[in-house]
Amino acid sequence: MLVASEITVQFGTRKVLDRVNFSARAGEVTAIVGPNGSGKTTLLRAMTGEQDFTGDVSLDGVPLHHLSALDLAQRRAVLPQSGNIAFPFTVLELVRLGLTAGLSTGRADGLDHLPQAALARVGLEGFEGRMAQELSGGERQRVQLARVLVQIWEPVLDGHPRWLILDEPVSALDIGHQLTVMEIARDYAQRGGGVIAVMHDLNLTAMFADRVTLLSEGQLRADGTPEEVLTDAALSASYGCTVRTNTAPPTGGPWILPQASAAHPDL
Amino acid sequence: MTIADTRPFAQPRPVAGDRRAKARALRMALIIVLGLTMLMGLGWGAAGETDVIGALLAKFGIGEVSRVDMTVVWDIRMPRVLTGALVGAALAVAGAVMQGLFRNPLADPGLVGVSAGAGFGAVAAIVLGGLLPLALQNLVGAYLIPLAAFSGGWVSTIVLYKIATRGGRTSVATMLLAGIALGALTGALTGFIVYKATDDQLRDLTFWGMGSVAGATWAKLLTAGPIIALALVTAPFLARSLDALALGEAVASHMGIDTQKMKRIAILSVAGSVGASVAITGGIGFIGIVVPHLLRLIQGPEHRNLLPNAALLGAIMLLLADMVSRLAVAPAELPIGIVTACLGGPFFLWILLKNRALLEN
Repeated sequence: MLVASEITVQFGTRKVLDRVNFSARAGEVTAIVGPNGSGKTTLLRAMTGEQDFTGDVSLDGVPLHHLSALDLAQRRAVLPQSGNIAFPFTVLELVRLGLTAGLSTGRADGLDHLPQAALARVGLEGFEGRMAQELSGGERQRVQLARVLVQIWEPVLDGHPRWLILDEPVSALDIGHQLTVMEIARDYAQRGGGVIAVMHDLNLTAMFADRVTLLSEGQLRADGTPEEVLTDAALSASYGCTVRTNTAPPTGGPWILPQASAAHPDL
Repeated sequence: MTIADTRPFAQPRPVAGDRRAKARALRMALIIVLGLTMLMGLGWGAAGETDVIGALLAKFGIGEVSRVDMTVVWDIRMPRVLTGALVGAALAVAGAVMQGLFRNPLADPGLVGVSAGAGFGAVAAIVLGGLLPLALQNLVGAYLIPLAAFSGGWVSTIVLYKIATRGGRTSVATMLLAGIALGALTGALTGFIVYKATDDQLRDLTFWGMGSVAGATWAKLLTAGPIIALALVTAPFLARSLDALALGEAVASHMGIDTQKMKRIAILSVAGSVGASVAITGGIGFIGIVVPHLLRLIQGPEHRNLLPNAALLGAIMLLLADMVSRLAVAPAELPIGIVTACLGGPFFLWILLKNRALLEN
């Protein structure tokens, strides 16, 4: 279980996060949603140690700051929103970097096949020899996901769940690959791992998340199952526009549609 | 009907995008070329009559050669060749480590003021060393100049890193501009000390400032060699961290790298290599940028192969440059720094033009 309690982050005098409580369970996909600037990514960064904050974050009962970078790297992997690559790595070389922590602890022995398996998993078979810097944004995002998967390939290690932390994992992807990536996330959770994802797409969130945390203006607005959180009232209030939720035909889950304001008569 | 593969172990098949085999083959080739280059360096005499092989064997009691040949090979050329190889390796590895640390293929100790900082340390030690308390002089002895150069390089690297890096990102423009400022400042301080130097010291300093392996002796090699060797031996341990760092500091840390610790080691390693090299051969530029760049093109950027191969190719390049410097105006000698700058300057411009996008954002 990953628990963040009373997280406050301040940029100057502005509180970007104000005493936010968040928790995620292994075996579930937990989505963090909210409008731009609501503090989603800041919350994620506080939990990954990239952002200074007041409050507490613990992983399976152990405070985060008690774990070394190497311990943490074996228990959770983080997919950043974007990132540049300084040198001309091939796709295979880049994905192989996912074995870094494993090599440092001797746990990567016999795992040489993982990079290629991970590439196949994200639909990039045959891309091994391509230059990572020359790929499209969406392809690069999937290469990074493959690298992250290699880092924590088995969802459970020594009886501990491992955590996949994703910052807007589908932002650059077409709808087909959005599904591929979300299915990977759900599968990881179903096999015992934990998944935390910052999401923009509310319909994908409704389809794949087990739990949803809704943030707005740095505060926790709602948290619970998609049905509990993704409601007309909560979404309309948080996003500042009219939102109508329906029931999606195949699954019966929420289906979210923002309403355009009435057409201006003069136009 | 299909036939089962009954071989006990399937042969590993080459994978597209795996350049490691190429890097290993290249390493073997470089080792052989380095050996030949060193042998050629030993045999490079005005008349070419020296029996190099004989002298090498004679040292181990096999056969006999004239005392002149023994002296030429063992006391004059051997320290020069070893110094050239060691300094070439050190500069190339320092360049590769620094580029990895700054996440930037244009970082080079010579370009961003680290060599200038080391030079300041060395010049200060040469001119002002005599002012130190006698006890201290006796304590550090011949190590004074390498240590001073190391300190100068170390401080410059740290200052540069602090200025150019914000929130884990290094700006290319800031790094190069800060390097210019730092170089100018240390250059001015060096100039001030040189102004105070005696005529004898001045001659030393001028020659030394252009870079040369001509003055190599066993004594100098023994003072700077261990520092360089230590830096070269440390570098491969940084390989995994430097690879990870290419994706950014935050990502590297998520991958389990203790980034603070590795940065400290990398800075010490660069300062050690550059400081010790500058102390014995003066400022030799461009090896640190040309060698890693060429290797990345051929075998890819993975540091586990880049660092050892850079050491080998750096050694070869410097030895070849030394031969050019002896040949160009024979029987006189051109300072080697002039040779590497003539070759490296245009090469650097070429990299710069290719990476213009890097500078513009």
